[in-house]
Amino acid sequence: MSETIIATDRRINPADCFDPDTGVLQRRIFSDQEIYREELRRIFGRAWNFMCHESQLPAAGDFFMNWIGEDEVIAVRNRNGEINVLLNSCPHRGNTVCRAELGNTNSFFCSYHGWNFDLDGRLIGMPGEDQFYRGSVDKTAWGLTPAAKVESYRGFVFATLDPAAPDLKDYLGWVGRLGIDFIASKGEIRFLDGVQKNRIQCNWKLAVDNLFDWYHVKVSHGTALKLGVVGEESMSPMEQMVVLGEYGHAISGPGISEARYQEAVQRVSEGGEDGEWFDREVARRVQPGVAEQLGALGKRSFGHPNIFPNLWVNLTPQLCLRIPRGPFETELWWFTYEVEGMSEKDRKFLQFMANHIFGPAGLLEQDDGENWSHSTRGAKGSFGQGLPLNYAMGLGADQMQSASDGQSGIETVVSEHAQRWLYNSWQEWMLADSWQDLMASHAMPPTQGTI
Amino acid sequence: MGAYADMTLQEQMLLKHEVEEFLFMEADLLDSRRYDDWLAVLADDIHYWMPIRRTTTAREVELEFTKPGGMAFFDDDKTVLTLRIQRLSVGRAWAEDPPSRTRRLVTNVRLLSVDGDEINVGCNFKLYRTRLNSEEDSWIGRREDLLRRVDGGFKLARRHIFLEQTVILSQNMSSLF
Repeated sequence: MSETIIATDRRINPADCFDPDTGVLQRRIFSDQEIYREELRRIFGRAWNFMCHESQLPAAGDFFMNWIGEDEVIAVRNRNGEINVLLNSCPHRGNTVCRAELGNTNSFFCSYHGWNFDLDGRLIGMPGEDQFYRGSVDKTAWGLTPAAKVESYRGFVFATLDPAAPDLKDYLGWVGRLGIDFIASKGEIRFLDGVQKNRIQCNWKLAVDNLFDWYHVKVSHGTALKLGVVGEESMSPMEQMVVLGEYGHAISGPGISEARYQEAVQRVSEGGEDGEWFDREVARRVQPGVAEQLGALGKRSFGHPNIFPNLWVNLTPQLCLRIPRGPFETELWWFTYEVEGMSEKDRKFLQFMANHIFGPAGLLEQDDGENWSHSTRGAKGSFGQGLPLNYAMGLGADQMQSASDGQSGIETVVSEHAQRWLYNSWQEWMLADSWQDLMASHAMPPTQGTI
Repeated sequence: MGAYADMTLQEQMLLKHEVEEFLFMEADLLDSRRYDDWLAVLADDIHYWMPIRRTTTAREVELEFTKPGGMAFFDDDKTVLTLRIQRLSVGRAWAEDPPSRTRRLVTNVRLLSVDGDEINVGCNFKLYRTRLNSEEDSWIGRREDLLRRVDGGFKLARRHIFLEQTVILSQNMSSLF
């Protein structure tokens, strides 16, 4: 493995932080400042980062502010209908050129000295261009810095700062695409106005690894079960499926057998959608072409996808972006979508889930924050940070299975396969010196054998 | 009761006193963790709503709050508020176990309108929460409450809450406003 990160004895080599053969993770990855700085550079600075959904920017000049690591960016629709992602920083002094988190504008005007930029980031005006600069500025060289690439998959817009990144479709691979297909295949997606945002005093990776975690549900969210807000079957189903994707994407959570899927197809084809908790989803998947698109395993998965590094795509109508704010703080952004033409019953269910389950006041979600902040605290103490954590659940106890269409996954019980894959991939990203290096060094998910 | 403007100053002062007594008592029920008593002062048709606030330019300040039907932090009816209260007593409500310590300051109370038995009340509030050894949250905002006179007392029939924060600087909002 690369040793480029080891410069002094005091630095931590990511290669020493996780052992996939034992599932042992070193706590200091949740608290070390140097690790955090390298994550911003090597992970967020290279990855495709989720920006927004196209439906959030219907008109020319519509913009939505987001972050790539700790760099603030503006996603804006230009006059040609394309979406640009521009660094929110004036090339003159570095000041922000946009202070609103959303809106519509003709241009981005710097409040410091008045440099003005069009929707493509071109410098179109500067006070004193002739009188003070004597006409010497090459305005074409001093626009807002654009993201290296902006692409969308089924309306979900991503940007990367690294020109060497693969195309979005290749980056997502079949697993990342499947995560988005789960919701995009429901129909025409429209994002609702309003993103719930709040801050938790936790390391961003703990928030991400939690979305794969079906072990905590009955304990952390026990009240929701006792109140009957969500059913026992949907909260902690015994049948689970884990799908692992290139570059760290994964899907973990409920997954049913082919036989149970066929029973559900039978029920929904007879007009029933209330036999099992997943019937509501299966009813969408029996629409023409959908099950084929989701694939032999995908159609039977109802798990939680993460688009590496930090986008949780949820089958309930929300996406949650986990934005790093330093090693000890994470901002959670909950986006909510609806499907054009959905039934009133479905709409009511989606609204209930969105308003009352997740988000900082959600009946489920409110109990997560303290667990994550205190787990982060457990990585801070000078003694504690040197201790390991156990991510060994299910290690070596399962078989990778491949379907005839090429999809592969693990049909199992509650496990930590996806978390191990996350940290294994994290390690690869942290050790790679470039996209070229990462493409050459990263592990492909296994398609057979014991895992 | 008639329209507020038709009332004498003395009638207005008496009504405002009554309204304030209710709001202070209602805040005290939450601070004192008398949650079932708090539920009892809610009208069955209550709408309890906290829209999301955003930073916008002055030119587009009409976008500042999400609208009804859009996303919100709270968009509750009495059934959901009852769930929020019930969760505190069924065990494993970790956000409130150990229980938070809260204090609600209700101030700048104004009677916005009076329509028959219903009084639309504006007020400012500060909700201070501290929990465990050193954790602190503070939420400041404005409320519009609809009080309905029922059997000689008041029931809370609507509460719309407008926070000053855009990004909620707290790990959760397990407190009620």
